[in-house]
Amino acid sequence: MMSKESTSKIKKLIRNPIFLGTLIGFFAAVSQALLFSAGGPEAYGFCVACHIRDLINDCINLITGKTVLAVAPISKNAVFPILTILGVMIGAFISAKLNKEFKIKTSSIKMYLIYFLGGVLVLIVALLLGGCPYRTALRFGNGDMIAFIGILSMALGVFVGVKIILKRMEKQMGEDK
Amino acid sequence: MAGLLSAEAAYIAVPIVTLILGLIIGYLAQQSGFCSIGGMRDLFLFKHTRLFFGYLALILSSFVSYLIFSFIWTGAFPNFFWAIKKGFLTPIPGAPGGLSNWAYAILAIIGGFGLGLLGVLLGGCPLRQTVMGFEGNIKSIFFVVGMMVGAVIFHLVVAGWVISLFGG
Repeated sequence: MMSKESTSKIKKLIRNPIFLGTLIGFFAAVSQALLFSAGGPEAYGFCVACHIRDLINDCINLITGKTVLAVAPISKNAVFPILTILGVMIGAFISAKLNKEFKIKTSSIKMYLIYFLGGVLVLIVALLLGGCPYRTALRFGNGDMIAFIGILSMALGVFVGVKIILKRMEKQMGEDK
Repeated sequence: MAGLLSAEAAYIAVPIVTLILGLIIGYLAQQSGFCSIGGMRDLFLFKHTRLFFGYLALILSSFVSYLIFSFIWTGAFPNFFWAIKKGFLTPIPGAPGGLSNWAYAILAIIGGFGLGLLGVLLGGCPLRQTVMGFEGNIKSIFFVVGMMVGAVIFHLVVAGWVISLFGG
């Protein structure tokens, strides 16, 4: 049996974003070391946007029996589509259930529509950049300076977004008075 | 091109390895609330560094891991460090192929800015939205479905635009 102190230490570690960030960087390198023979590209160990693209497009290609939609070489060569995203979904669900944090939260149809369109747009801009924020980080770690430009630009986007949120909050506060 | 596994073994290992990595990352992302864009937002809005340091750790850890691994298994990391081996402003393949370096820089600026702005307004990066969806947040599920549709739209429509705009 583990002592109470060490279990609480582990719990703290599990909840620490720095731990996960470090782990993702390490796993991405392990994944590349293992799977690079299946075809590149580099810095492809973990990416939400690209791996969703590969999963969906690969499935469509498998169903139609020809290459209709582009996928990364690694997914094109593999016997079965890349499953990172399925893993993330199941992992998050198990974690939420085990830790009693699973809670259905519904919203309005309008919000669903906004989030659906948001998802479409986010994936399109992510693929323009060549990956989601995670692959961009991996690319920068791998020595890709275009990815660094992408990260700086993302920070600028976040900065502008924060200004918009603050404006909106001020306006709401003004209306409340 | 040679990784640790032979090509035939790697073809089979791709879904297995990625599924396992996804499971671990998904579990820990739910527990820690990991979010790249959320990290930048908290930094700008509240001066909170908790999530932002997670993203920095990811960059640093990937660099160190690639550096160490590239010495051990040269075959799997033939182009490390990219900026030195391939040219300072050459990107790693990913966005639509065959464009000039300047086109990729412009795409990175547009894509990065859009990703940051949309991410903040919608409350999270693609990973965080996926995790929130499977914590039971229905609007994030719609976001994930939107991403799936976006992938198809990108390759049917947007990739063509980009290539005709910058490739010509």
